[in-house]
Amino acid sequence: MVEAGRSPNIEILSNARLEALEGKPGQFVARVHQEPRFIDEDKCTACGMCTMYCPRPVVDTYNERLEVTRAPHIDYAQAIPSSYYIDAKACLRVNYETCNLCAQTCTAKAIDFSQKPKEHALEVGAVVLAPGFGRVDSSVLERFGYGRYPDVVTSYEFERLTCASGPTEGHIVRPSDNKTPRKIAFLQCIGSRDETCGNGYCSTVCCMYAIKEASVAKEHEPDLDISLFFMDVRTQGKGFDEARQRAQEKYGLHVIRARVPRVEQVDGMLALTWTTDDGKSHSDLFDMVVLSVGLDSPEDAQSIAELADIKLNHYDFCKTTAGAPLATTREGIYVAGAFQGPKDIPESVTQASGVAAMASELLAESRNTCTISVTYPEEDKAIEAEEPRIGVFVCHCGVNIAGTVDVKAVRDYAGSLPGVVLYEDTLYSCSQDALKSIAEKIKENRLNRVVIAACSPRTHEPLFQETLRSIGLNPALIEMANIRDQCAWVHSQEPEAATEKSKDLVRMAVAKARLLEPLAQPTVDVTPNALVIGGGAAGMTAAISIADQGYRCVLVEKGRKLGGNLSRLAWTLDGQDASSVLDSLKKKVKDHPNIHVQLESQVESISGYVGNFTTTINSKGKTKVINHGVAVLATGAREYKPSGYLYGENNRVMTQLELEEKLKRGKAFLKNARNVVMIQCVGSRGEDLKHCSRLCCSQAIKNALMIKEHSPDTNIYIFFRDIRTYGFHEDLYREAREKGIVFLRYMPDRRPEVVRRGRGIAVKGFDRLMGEDIEIPASLVVLSTGIAPGDNVELAKVIKAPLTSDGFFLEAHAKLRPVEVAVDGFYLCGLAHGPKSLDESIAQAKAAAAKAVIPLAKGKVAVAPIVSQVDQKTCIGCGICESLCPFNAIRLVKVNKRRKAQTITASCKGCGICASHCPTLAISMGGFTDQEILAQIHAFSGGKCEDEA
Amino acid sequence: MSQEKANLKENEMTREGFDPHILGFFCHWCCYAAADSAGVSRYQYPPNVRVIRVMCTGRIDVRFVLEAFRCGADGVFTGG
Amino acid sequence: MGECHYQSGNYEAMVVAETCRQTLKDIGVEPERLSLDWASAAEAPRFVELITGYVKRIKGMGALGTGEGEEAKPVIDRRLKAAVRAASARKPRTSLGTLSKGLHKGGDYTPEAIEAGVAKKVLPAIRQQRITEEVLILLKEEGAMDEGHLAEATGASGDEIQKILEGLSRRKKISQDEAGWVLMTA
Repeated sequence: MVEAGRSPNIEILSNARLEALEGKPGQFVARVHQEPRFIDEDKCTACGMCTMYCPRPVVDTYNERLEVTRAPHIDYAQAIPSSYYIDAKACLRVNYETCNLCAQTCTAKAIDFSQKPKEHALEVGAVVLAPGFGRVDSSVLERFGYGRYPDVVTSYEFERLTCASGPTEGHIVRPSDNKTPRKIAFLQCIGSRDETCGNGYCSTVCCMYAIKEASVAKEHEPDLDISLFFMDVRTQGKGFDEARQRAQEKYGLHVIRARVPRVEQVDGMLALTWTTDDGKSHSDLFDMVVLSVGLDSPEDAQSIAELADIKLNHYDFCKTTAGAPLATTREGIYVAGAFQGPKDIPESVTQASGVAAMASELLAESRNTCTISVTYPEEDKAIEAEEPRIGVFVCHCGVNIAGTVDVKAVRDYAGSLPGVVLYEDTLYSCSQDALKSIAEKIKENRLNRVVIAACSPRTHEPLFQETLRSIGLNPALIEMANIRDQCAWVHSQEPEAATEKSKDLVRMAVAKARLLEPLAQPTVDVTPNALVIGGGAAGMTAAISIADQGYRCVLVEKGRKLGGNLSRLAWTLDGQDASSVLDSLKKKVKDHPNIHVQLESQVESISGYVGNFTTTINSKGKTKVINHGVAVLATGAREYKPSGYLYGENNRVMTQLELEEKLKRGKAFLKNARNVVMIQCVGSRGEDLKHCSRLCCSQAIKNALMIKEHSPDTNIYIFFRDIRTYGFHEDLYREAREKGIVFLRYMPDRRPEVVRRGRGIAVKGFDRLMGEDIEIPASLVVLSTGIAPGDNVELAKVIKAPLTSDGFFLEAHAKLRPVEVAVDGFYLCGLAHGPKSLDESIAQAKAAAAKAVIPLAKGKVAVAPIVSQVDQKTCIGCGICESLCPFNAIRLVKVNKRRKAQTITASCKGCGICASHCPTLAISMGGFTDQEILAQIHAFSGGKCEDEA
Repeated sequence: MSQEKANLKENEMTREGFDPHILGFFCHWCCYAAADSAGVSRYQYPPNVRVIRVMCTGRIDVRFVLEAFRCGADGVFTGG
Repeated sequence: MGECHYQSGNYEAMVVAETCRQTLKDIGVEPERLSLDWASAAEAPRFVELITGYVKRIKGMGALGTGEGEEAKPVIDRRLKAAVRAASARKPRTSLGTLSKGLHKGGDYTPEAIEAGVAKKVLPAIRQQRITEEVLILLKEEGAMDEGHLAEATGASGDEIQKILEGLSRRKKISQDEAGWVLMTA
């Protein structure tokens, strides 16, 4: 968000709505109506005086109406624009021309009642629709006692209650008596998987968010007794099943598979009655009930559709297809996020990058015609060279840090350290207004070294470095003390020890800051083309997108033809012919002048750095060298091959993909099929693979329906653990039940078995409802075997990219950087990242293409300034560094007939092996010099120890 | 030493409330990232370690480790 | 292992750690006070396990010095001081660099190979330098001392101390008078 707020190429119109959208792709005119905020965004310093003085209370909608604020307010501290606004409906000045108190108290003179509504006519080339999701109608919630019983709350309200910066500062209280509840029940699928309210789909995110809310609640109140009522536990996201399992064990959450039909009040308690799938009825009393409310289509979906002239699906979400998940029905208009279908944050962020690629493809010709670029003031070398004047800013991070660490004590302690001339605390140091104020204070106090005690430098250092640059200081002159991720968060039970640790970390950071030196910031030119590894659906999509965006691209596929797993599919999950999607991708790849395909080829080695990679591939036995600026990993995955279940021993037992291939060739074999039995989670969810393979449930049901269509008399039985037909795939599940497909739940300790019976086979299982063992003679047994990672280990080693414990590539950040690899210049999409459906792979491939094009389009990348430097006076030319450098980034040269080491800056990655092994201590690492590290060690000792080395 | 005795000895040590002073050298890409992610997941662990971030464990010099002990560290944890 | 972002950084770290451990042991510090462990970015639970276990182990060892025996503390302090100087000196550093270079070339980073290499090539160089530095520290702090006392204080054998004293005297760092060896002031 902060990034969006800072980019000079993003103009934010808040309080605005679309009125009309005319024109055609490349030449739209969007008419936008904007209501006034009555507070000038540029002048507002977000000090909060206006809220304090305003006499008009309004309910705080951001805090789910649990709190009261005033007419002028800001929704939350990190909001962008980081300026307050006035709620026009409540304001006395706007409605009755009286009061005006806020304007009088505002020292920044930001309040401006002369603002009028504005009409904008925006000339744009492409349009992205991202209106998010809407709320489930309150009549649905009322069925569960919401509104009638005060202790029935929505999950939104509960989220605010668990939030440390929320209305109760994270204390869980019952609304009826403000006391801490003892027993809480979460009811899932409120307004989801419920045709009676028109929402037949699954909202996808509620199972996981309920687990998260329950876990956070347990963190705050360890004595809580929490039960969660699921129909199915749908935690199919990457790593989610593992996280759920862990939470269940760690917090002792009770998971009950049942749908609770209603909530009643008995003696001030909430009574729930439910039936489990063994037919038994149960009831219990709870202090509080949380309704896990689903995601509805946006309230204004219909009007958006009308204005934008696009079609909606039968649930009023934006209509898209599995082959083109980000395209609306109108060319040049794209969709991302929950409006396309219920989804979580990583998926939404991925789609958002994906639509950026779509827009960039459409507008490739006019790239850089309207771009505004940032210029930085020249570095003030004079100030940098002065004696260190250090400023320390200690961040509260709301209550994330301040809830545990005594921030003011840390701040005052910082003031006692040598070299510190300014020490302050900030509520959120990464918020835009705080960054502005930090910049001003640096200037006012002529600071030349800065210490930020806040979160992790891994995530936030670039932001603060940018702030330094913006005022003419070298970005290397900052040091962070990680008192959040590695202190407050992990020592929340020990506030005093956490405060002491924070002081130590600040002291060490200040000691290092005193010695920091400006570092050069070289840039290198980018080789303007891309390498895409893997020629499946994801790889082809990424290659086409990069090519359409105007850059050349080499597509390397190890097999003999393009297509990957897609070529084995018969139908997509939305019922399209899979081969038509495949053919269209293949044709585009083949015809595109910017794409060069290398079949039967494998990557052997990759060297270089973002912007300038050199890759050697083995192509049909011959070695080829490719120079490229970026690379996309789309290496796919494979269907898991099970052991047991008579698989490979009896030809009536097959996997889902094998079934699809068979169905693709002809349906005749179904004629005599009396019973088809499918078994879910073969291999997955703990049998052999730890993870949930996400799409097998939908795929199995799709195939079951296909069998039913061609052979209606065939009986189909599906053994499952949880049916995970998330999103609109739930329609398939409903249809399957309507068509008489029998679903039998099994527990992991009682897996169904496939046995031989005479010449045939049968499946032995346990019918939980009847409470007895059953045996179903089977004409066919289809195993949903899940998705196993491909041979990623070798490639991961070559690239130095981390893998997850399941063997898939690990993204740089699950939410913020879902398609980037931690190694600069590498991007990730498709099954290589984890199990997902075709539409998700395509959206992700577009996202990877969008990210990959960024360095190509910029044409230059900055080289990381953390590089080694040799003091050639001290160097004795022994060559140890040269032979140990993993990147060949240091070599011996002749200087005055003597051998001396020299760093090749662009190749150096800053590991520091050379420095720690130099006999004469002649090598220093930018940002991590011996002196700096020794200063940290001495500071660690608390001044007991001076420099000895 | 029997297991029982060993346990007894350990209990004695911890009962005294000895709070060790530990210095960590964490690799930016591995251990430091894992430590951050432990924070995101709100795992709890003892607050005795003070961390110096390095880009790679290969940066760690013999003299850093010895110097840490000289400066009063009861332990040095290097994590890659 | 082998997943290091910098390819071989963690292998070099193993050699450095082994060098530190053998040095610590040589000067009477419990070598297990230094731990070298691996947790990748994705392994938060493992990290927590490692760090929790490590802190517990250190607690079990007690404060530096006390775990090694109460009377050992001043000796350890002096030896650490000497060892840090040794680790900054050219000769021991060259021996470490040369060993790493050899292991790097051979690609054999098994714990046995590292342990043997450090014991054979690096530790002797560090030890010699450490004793040398310690002699200088002792003579500075305690005044004149004879060969026997110096050997006892530094833990050096008779041969070792003799060689070191000869070397220092040749380099005009120390000289002998009736009270024993003394520092030569420049």
